[in-house]
Amino acid sequence: MKLNPMELYSLLPKTNCRLCAPKTCMAFATKLALGDVTADDCPPLLETGFETNLEKIRNMIAPLQSAEETGVKLDESKCTGCGNCVVVCPVDQAAEPPTSVGKAAKGVDTVFRVENGISRIINLEKCRRFPPDRLNCRVCEQYCCTGAIEIW
Amino acid sequence: MMEDIVCDGCALLCDDVSIEIKGNEVTSLGFCRLGHTHTETVLKNLKVDKQDIEKIAEMLHTAESPLLFGWSRTSNETIKEGLALAKATGAAFDSSTNMGLTQSMSHDIHKMKLDCDLEHVRNNGEFIIYWGSNPTESCHRHPSRFAVLPRGDKIPEGVESRTIGIVDVRETETMKMGNHRTIIESGSDTELIDALIGDIAGTSSITDSVVGVPASELMGFVSALKKSDCTIIFYGTGILNSGHADANLTSLLNLIKTLRDLGKEAYALPMWFSGNAMGVIKETQLKESSLKKLVDGEFDVALVVGEDALSILPGTAARALAKTKLIYIGPKGGLTDRKATVAIHTSDNIAVGSGTMTRIDMVDIELTAGAIDNSQSTSMFDIITSLHNVLKSKQGGK
Repeated sequence: MKLNPMELYSLLPKTNCRLCAPKTCMAFATKLALGDVTADDCPPLLETGFETNLEKIRNMIAPLQSAEETGVKLDESKCTGCGNCVVVCPVDQAAEPPTSVGKAAKGVDTVFRVENGISRIINLEKCRRFPPDRLNCRVCEQYCCTGAIEIW
Repeated sequence: MMEDIVCDGCALLCDDVSIEIKGNEVTSLGFCRLGHTHTETVLKNLKVDKQDIEKIAEMLHTAESPLLFGWSRTSNETIKEGLALAKATGAAFDSSTNMGLTQSMSHDIHKMKLDCDLEHVRNNGEFIIYWGSNPTESCHRHPSRFAVLPRGDKIPEGVESRTIGIVDVRETETMKMGNHRTIIESGSDTELIDALIGDIAGTSSITDSVVGVPASELMGFVSALKKSDCTIIFYGTGILNSGHADANLTSLLNLIKTLRDLGKEAYALPMWFSGNAMGVIKETQLKESSLKKLVDGEFDVALVVGEDALSILPGTAARALAKTKLIYIGPKGGLTDRKATVAIHTSDNIAVGSGTMTRIDMVDIELTAGAIDNSQSTSMFDIITSLHNVLKSKQGGK
């Protein structure tokens, strides 16, 4: 699921009141699309007159807030074991720092590890898409050249 | 689990991979699909058969015009021994690397220190261009280990600190990673490069489409080239086998010089698949290809070492090779092995783990650990050395 920040922006009060951390409505919309903030982080949106927009935004970002609504699937038949997912995954880089400079993952703490020539998800629960982070991170899908990784 | 063995499945020679063998079961960590499949195949076909050395020595000894072919999957030490064997038998020495790569490596682009090693690419490469090369289908780990995704000294954010460009004649899977994806007509590389050079140097400007690529797209490409402090061009078979290899390489050389004139770092590196093709380049001085002589039926005996030549060579050359008294030395399997009059099966380098091979960037990688214990393995080097010794005794007894 990909959210369009412009669609979210059109539903915001567009006052640039600077009451939220991102400071501008456009920056707030971008953060909303990534799942980094919620509708409740925008004080003017909670005021009277914005109920409809608030409801719409809540519905739009709901999938990002729930682990049950997201997932990462790896089609092993398409995987070449290139290791792009291992090296680009922020969780893997933190769990096993040598992966950040291109080395193969050898430990058991990463999200991805290439075993027998194919990447496997060994710790899906550590993916940043799941609680507590609930981020709309899709870098593994973005850099999987063969389309083996699919996020929904 | 055996740590940090060297995979010789492709020219990247990955040395950060692990393997465990239990009976017929091969378990690996870090190998790409190609490397794992290669390893699984060679470790399940460990049949070593030495008794035909005498027979092969006799065939080479009595041959009128022998050819020693292959070598791109053997160690550097085996190549040296092969050269000595060729000298001793008066044989022609040739390799599949002589079908494009040798020519590119003898071009000025590699005589003027316009290349660098892959560690430099990882640490410094800001604008990475795959030109006529497609690592997703050849050297699978090239982007993740060195060129696109890893962090480096001057690349703190990994891919976020780099720009990626892909130029090819078709849409490739690698293009998914690209910031600039340029599809050009086959054979139009030089025209495009010259247009880029003109715009960068300020002698002309791109105002209209060039070789079918819109001006707006090319202006973005030029802007990225100007912005990058370190540009690396990985050129592949698309450049070398397009029929204009020399002109294409000269254009790339001029592009690099133009960027350097602006005070930028710029390099060109080849993308070639075979495990030790660079070792063949390094250890030999191949100039003339033997293919014409082969097609003309000038060789009566052909010894193929460590390459499935029949499946690599162009059809006419392969048919001519099959008509010679064909000898094969190398890991079991493949068309050449099946068609050979005499074959000796050796262990693959990944099983033996001794000697050196040369990576795609000309860096020597030492094979320090083999996947199996030495008592089970017989290397191509051992067999070629034994063959050479038997031949010496035959020639001494002449």
